[in-house]
Amino acid sequence: MIILSSVSKFFGQKKAVDNISFKTKEGEIIGFLGPNGAGKTTTMRLILGYLKPDFGKISVSGLDPVEQRVEVLKQVGYLPENNPLYQEMKVFEYLEFIALAKNEKNWQEIAKEVGLSSVFNKKIEELSFGFKQRVGLAASLFGNPKYLILDEPTSGLDPLEQEKIRNLIKKLGQKKTIIFSTHILSEAEKVANRLIIIQNGQIVYDGKKPKEKGGVEKLFKKKVKN
Amino acid sequence: MKNLIKKELNSYLNTPLGYIPTILFGIFANFFFVKDLFITGSASLRSFFLLLPWFLLIFVPGQAMRSFSEEKRANTIEVLLTLPYQETQIVLAKFLANLILFFIALSLTLSLPLSLSFLTKIYLPEVLVSYLGALFLGASFSSLSLFFSSQTKNQVVSFLSSVVSLFFLLLLGSDFFASLLPKNLQEFFVPLSPLYHFQNFVKGILDFRSLFYFFSFTFLFLFLTVLELEKRN
Repeated sequence: MIILSSVSKFFGQKKAVDNISFKTKEGEIIGFLGPNGAGKTTTMRLILGYLKPDFGKISVSGLDPVEQRVEVLKQVGYLPENNPLYQEMKVFEYLEFIALAKNEKNWQEIAKEVGLSSVFNKKIEELSFGFKQRVGLAASLFGNPKYLILDEPTSGLDPLEQEKIRNLIKKLGQKKTIIFSTHILSEAEKVANRLIIIQNGQIVYDGKKPKEKGGVEKLFKKKVKN
Repeated sequence: MKNLIKKELNSYLNTPLGYIPTILFGIFANFFFVKDLFITGSASLRSFFLLLPWFLLIFVPGQAMRSFSEEKRANTIEVLLTLPYQETQIVLAKFLANLILFFIALSLTLSLPLSLSFLTKIYLPEVLVSYLGALFLGASFSSLSLFFSSQTKNQVVSFLSSVVSLFFLLLLGSDFFASLLPKNLQEFFVPLSPLYHFQNFVKGILDFRSLFYFFSFTFLFLFLTVLELEKRN
């Protein structure tokens, strides 16, 4: 279980995350929504211990991501925003590097499942955007993590690729707790079973996904004021 | 940590920016020594080792500048820091990779004592102690350059900050600087310079104080780099 209790994070004078609290349950797929600069990425980075909170407490399976960062990271798979990769590496070199770090023996099978077999020997810089995203996604699955944190996993992909990634998230959500951020509201409607909407660093909605078609968009417009 | 070191070494060998400085170092270090060898008529490596710190002033920061700066620029630092590795392991891996590359570069100058040994008899212990000193000097320069690399995402800024800092540190131990100072200030400032301690090695002296200096210097800057990574703001 991931628990955030009254967490705040400042960047200089700016409050990026403002006193937010939530708790995840096993098997949840949480759509993390909000306009640009709302604090989604900061919140995700706080959960991973990549950033330190200024106030409040975070717990991942009872562990503190700052004090027990390495133990927490063994349980969390992460796809960062814009998917930074070592461009000069070949796909198999990169995946092998991450697999060794996460102690994943079956990394080649996971890479095949994500559809990377045909580009194993290619340099990452030579790959299309869609393949790069798959590399990042495959790497996030290594080490059989209990939690998956995906920051804009379908951003920049064509509709067909987006659909594939959505289906993969749904499939993975049967076994893992997933938090994913997205700008595409219809995506949250299709994939998530819980929504957290954040604006100006504060949670403005945390609850079930509306059942009616287009309900997520209506909810988002209602909660997020310009 | 083996995994991290391998990744670092590969990142150097995969790009010309990584291996070209090493080759250039080997070429220039050999050339500058050999060009004066027959003019001075001295069959000693001392002039090479006295010139070495000034070569390393450019070479080591050039080699280490991308270590963290490039990770920051490309944001792969986020990938690295969200893998289950301690910050200490990451810094040590980068440091050791730089040291391995430096060792390779330094080994390119082994042609000098080898060729000299055909011409005359060289005093081997002095050469070995001098090379040991060069390794310590390279390690200390690497640690300082890693620290400046962790401060910025701009490789040029990282390089220049390291070169300027090392230049002033070397200058502290130079005869020119010492001649400008009164004796009591000389005694304080000169031993702060890596040049002063390296010269002990070049004379073939294994001085405990110089060993302590290089260990402390290297440890201090590695420690500061770890602190910088731990800040993560």
